[in-house]
Amino acid sequence: MGKTNDRRFYETVAAILQLQVDDVTDEISPENTDTWDSLNQINLMSALEQEFGVTLPIDSLEAVDSVAALKDLLAQHGVRV
Amino acid sequence: MTGPPRPPKPIGLTQMHRILDEVHANPTIVNINRAAEALLPSAHRLASAEIKIGCLATFTFDAIETSLRLQALRAGIAADTFIGPFGRLEQELIDPASGLAESRPDVILLAVRLKDSCPAIYEQFNTLSPEQSKETLRDWHDRLAAALRAFRVRSNAHVLIHNYEMPAAPALGLADRASAASQVDVIARANDALTDLASAMDNVRVMDYDGLVANHGRLNWTDSRLEYFARMAVAPRNNWHLAGFYIRHLRPLVGPSRKVLVLDADNTLWGGVVGDVGLNGIELGGDYPGNAYVAFQRRVLDLYHRGVVLCLASKNESGTVEEVLDSHPDMVLRREHFAAMRVNWDPKPANVERIATDLNLGIDSMVFLDDSPVECELMRTALPQVLTIQMPPEPAAFPGVIESLDCFDQWSISAEDRRRGSLYKADTSRRSLKKTTVDMPTFLRQLEMTMTIYTDHAPHAGRAAQLTNRTNQFNMHTVRCTENDIRTYLEDPNHHVFTLALADRFGDSGIVGLAVVRCDSDRWVLLLFLMSCRVLGRTVEQGFVAWIARRAREGGAGQLIGQFLPTAKNRHFADFYKTCGFSRDDDRDELQAWAWDLQTADPSLPDWLQVIVSEQTE
Repeated sequence: MGKTNDRRFYETVAAILQLQVDDVTDEISPENTDTWDSLNQINLMSALEQEFGVTLPIDSLEAVDSVAALKDLLAQHGVRV
Repeated sequence: MTGPPRPPKPIGLTQMHRILDEVHANPTIVNINRAAEALLPSAHRLASAEIKIGCLATFTFDAIETSLRLQALRAGIAADTFIGPFGRLEQELIDPASGLAESRPDVILLAVRLKDSCPAIYEQFNTLSPEQSKETLRDWHDRLAAALRAFRVRSNAHVLIHNYEMPAAPALGLADRASAASQVDVIARANDALTDLASAMDNVRVMDYDGLVANHGRLNWTDSRLEYFARMAVAPRNNWHLAGFYIRHLRPLVGPSRKVLVLDADNTLWGGVVGDVGLNGIELGGDYPGNAYVAFQRRVLDLYHRGVVLCLASKNESGTVEEVLDSHPDMVLRREHFAAMRVNWDPKPANVERIATDLNLGIDSMVFLDDSPVECELMRTALPQVLTIQMPPEPAAFPGVIESLDCFDQWSISAEDRRRGSLYKADTSRRSLKKTTVDMPTFLRQLEMTMTIYTDHAPHAGRAAQLTNRTNQFNMHTVRCTENDIRTYLEDPNHHVFTLALADRFGDSGIVGLAVVRCDSDRWVLLLFLMSCRVLGRTVEQGFVAWIARRAREGGAGQLIGQFLPTAKNRHFADFYKTCGFSRDDDRDELQAWAWDLQTADPSLPDWLQVIVSEQTE
């Protein structure tokens, strides 16, 4: 596994939200990003589950309102990014 | 700082297939999204067919759309999709102003789960009496049929509908099978009723969704969290498989199905290199791995019997491969199964091109199977229109490669399909005759051709419809017909449907020609006129027109009118009516009219064409 968790996280988020990896910052949120709609909210969670082999609780979906919150959620499940 | 980004180089077919192969090997959400971003903006340029798909589902379908469009592209189709609001299936079908109606789809996918349309059958089964469950299902099917009929009044779109999946855990548990009120039985009968409903309507077909779910594992198919949270019936990891399933069913309706399978020999048909280890040294038959190669050959033979034309391309000394085909006791495939064999040291793309020419088929109808990554890469680069599949390293996985090929699939298999392999074999014999003879009339006389013409012969309706859907080159007016369309012509006293069968000394080609004629009082109009490319260039097409012209004259017509609609595929035959003696009757470019004056014309048939007029069901 050559890539760091960090890199894998940003690449996953970028692929789902159709952003450049460098443009993914902590502040990216559904409010300021058109592609972050309700379908991609689910896609983000599912893609991170696939990428890191973790199971994220579905009730956290609604609470995740930024990239920073996504990172916190992953950290709670043992993935440091 | 870097400069402004350079515009990306346009993606070509080779690169497209590489990207899609990667997704197929590992269809994660990220890989699917990346491929979509790279490919979908260029889909119409990269595809060879276009289609509009309307999707109506009883569950949230949006997450499947991207996979659906990518799987379509993998099959050479640029798909534009309309996804209806979930749970409004009947309204979308019935309302003439619905989003579905406005999207004017060519194909509609009805992603129906009985669990959604009749939840009690799944969720409260033990509280239902047998009468209640019957009543619930009848009511649902009545509503579905009414909605489909309302839709059918306005649209001829193909309709593909899911059958109903079995519960992973029947409500009565172990006792379900023995019970008079078995849930599994009730759902099986609902599936029978759905099949009846579909076959009573034109162009409505059932897809075995239950089989798909079973193949991937009932317990693995749905992510219950997403089902309860977002009404998603399919776990994200299965979106790609579901989309592939839809395209498998849809592709034969759109047309670009493949026809030819070109196989490598060493390490594909058998283990080892016959040139090195000799006839008795190859791995074939007996125990592992020889038994896996035998199983692989049996699957290939199944394809042959379904109408796939088999060919062989092997880098070997001429004679070595032939010896295995003729003499090895465990070979399943023999020389007679191959319509063409190229055993030489030429590059394989050249051999594949040569085979396409010999068989008179397009490069885009070929599939190439080889164990060598180098050969596969060469083929993908040189001939990206060929579907190239690299055999996996494990021989035990070989039979599965054939089982998962969906590019040859068709909705029905005709008697002609079953015999196609031998038909093409006879064709190559005809061509070798062509090489040894001097002039065309002599060659044509040596063929000893007999064409049998049937008039309004109802048993040919299915094959006639198939010809309208399959024939692209010699198709004067490309209109795709259903069997019902053909029956309508058959039964109308003002129309004739002529079907033509051809036989010669090498074999019987079956029904290869179709003409649909509208008989006006003073003239006959050839609404449809087409012939399978397999028999072209033997004057049968000219003979068929001449015979129809004579019939028209006998029927009192003064003119025979031909119609020509130019397409990308039939350009080569733009002058066909002219060479027969017709002249232009209008100056339109799209649907041209050509007239043959039967008072002055001489519609004679060449002496090498014997005609039999079948008296059946005139």
